[in-house]
Amino acid sequence: MKNTPISKEKTLYQYKLIALFTILTLSLSSCVTARIEDNRIGSTGLEEGEGVVILAKSYHLGNDTETDFIKCVSSSISKGASRIRVVPTNKFKDLLFPWFEPRTVPSDTKSLTTLMARKQVSDIFRNQNLRYIIWLDGNTDSSGGGGSMSCAVGPNGGGCFGFAWWQNDSNYEATIWDVQDIKNEGNISAEFSGTSFMPAIVIPIPLFARTQAKACKGLSDQLKIFIAG
Amino acid sequence: MNVKYISTLVLLTFFYGCSSQVKIDNPNIPKLLITQAPFSVAIKYPDNFNNFLHEEKVIGKKSWQVDFSNSNRLLFNEIFQSFFEQVSVLENSEDNIYENFNFTIMPSIDAIEFSVPEQSQDETFSVWIRYRVKIFDFTGMEIINWPISAYGKTSTTTFSDDKDLANAAILAMRDAAALIVLQLEKTNKLSPSTQQVKIK
Repeated sequence: MKNTPISKEKTLYQYKLIALFTILTLSLSSCVTARIEDNRIGSTGLEEGEGVVILAKSYHLGNDTETDFIKCVSSSISKGASRIRVVPTNKFKDLLFPWFEPRTVPSDTKSLTTLMARKQVSDIFRNQNLRYIIWLDGNTDSSGGGGSMSCAVGPNGGGCFGFAWWQNDSNYEATIWDVQDIKNEGNISAEFSGTSFMPAIVIPIPLFARTQAKACKGLSDQLKIFIAG
Repeated sequence: MNVKYISTLVLLTFFYGCSSQVKIDNPNIPKLLITQAPFSVAIKYPDNFNNFLHEEKVIGKKSWQVDFSNSNRLLFNEIFQSFFEQVSVLENSEDNIYENFNFTIMPSIDAIEFSVPEQSQDETFSVWIRYRVKIFDFTGMEIINWPISAYGKTSTTTFSDDKDLANAAILAMRDAAALIVLQLEKTNKLSPSTQQVKIK
């Protein structure tokens, strides 16, 4: 069958509708409740050119912080008005290999003092002009879901019907160590929770509670303020 | 013709869904930040270090094949070349290999295990590698026999199962490097007083 101008217009209209629906679906998200607290022990501040490194606490200590979350925080605090220079995590670990691997990583400031007594280690910190180590702990969990949804496909098309929901909880803590004085300057905790919904009348419409993305943004903003002093 | 083509495609899809192959060409182990010990050592690798293959079937699920190729050799080369001043890799079995070096090192693999998210019920891949490191002095006497139990864990990423398992294996190899360095620094069996062979 030959495409007439009317059918072409109709196809274009359908494409526009699908695009609009996709954008709307992706931009929709459900509510998230947030709590950020900081506990300052010492005074902080950054001199010109000084930087930070963001590391996850060891999984040997039961920590499950997602690699994506570390990347997100690193990226967020190195952007914006009061951005901070961040040494990439993998580059830092490779430069100091094997002293920041999950098994060897210092678990407290006393262990860091012992590690810094190695000249090669302290030289790397000086060459990289590193002032703070930010340790991340925590993760995002999905739990407490409910509802039901069924989908079917037939010769004339398909569709879903039902309603499902689940709980998302993102709990993270950032601990800030000053490498110059080798002391713990304090910590910031971030708790974000929300319920994701997925109603379906023919087409499922996901309404995600983006707790991890919001925890990343919230924690990064607070870290910038904390480090600035 | 069409039926043949479709059935081949279905069969290929079926087999692809039943097994997964992961290849680790180079674990990219960085140079170790340590002070070198003034010894001349030789490393003798087992034959399977050139092409090490580990296969495991997850009960009721697909089977996984991890091809380490020669990555274990690259790992131990990096560890010992960082730790000792002179390192030679012995390619052929020779008699009296011990007398020309302060120490002769023979690494091997005792066991490998891994768990995938379907087994662990969480979003992580874990790999356990149990290496064994034997060190002989210049007379051929075994002075060290260490089991090195290394562990690596990664969280899953979207559509990257194979890559996630490979990353967990690389983390286990890095963990082995850290463990070996800690053990080497701690032992008093590699002291110069026990040695008569000097660096040539």
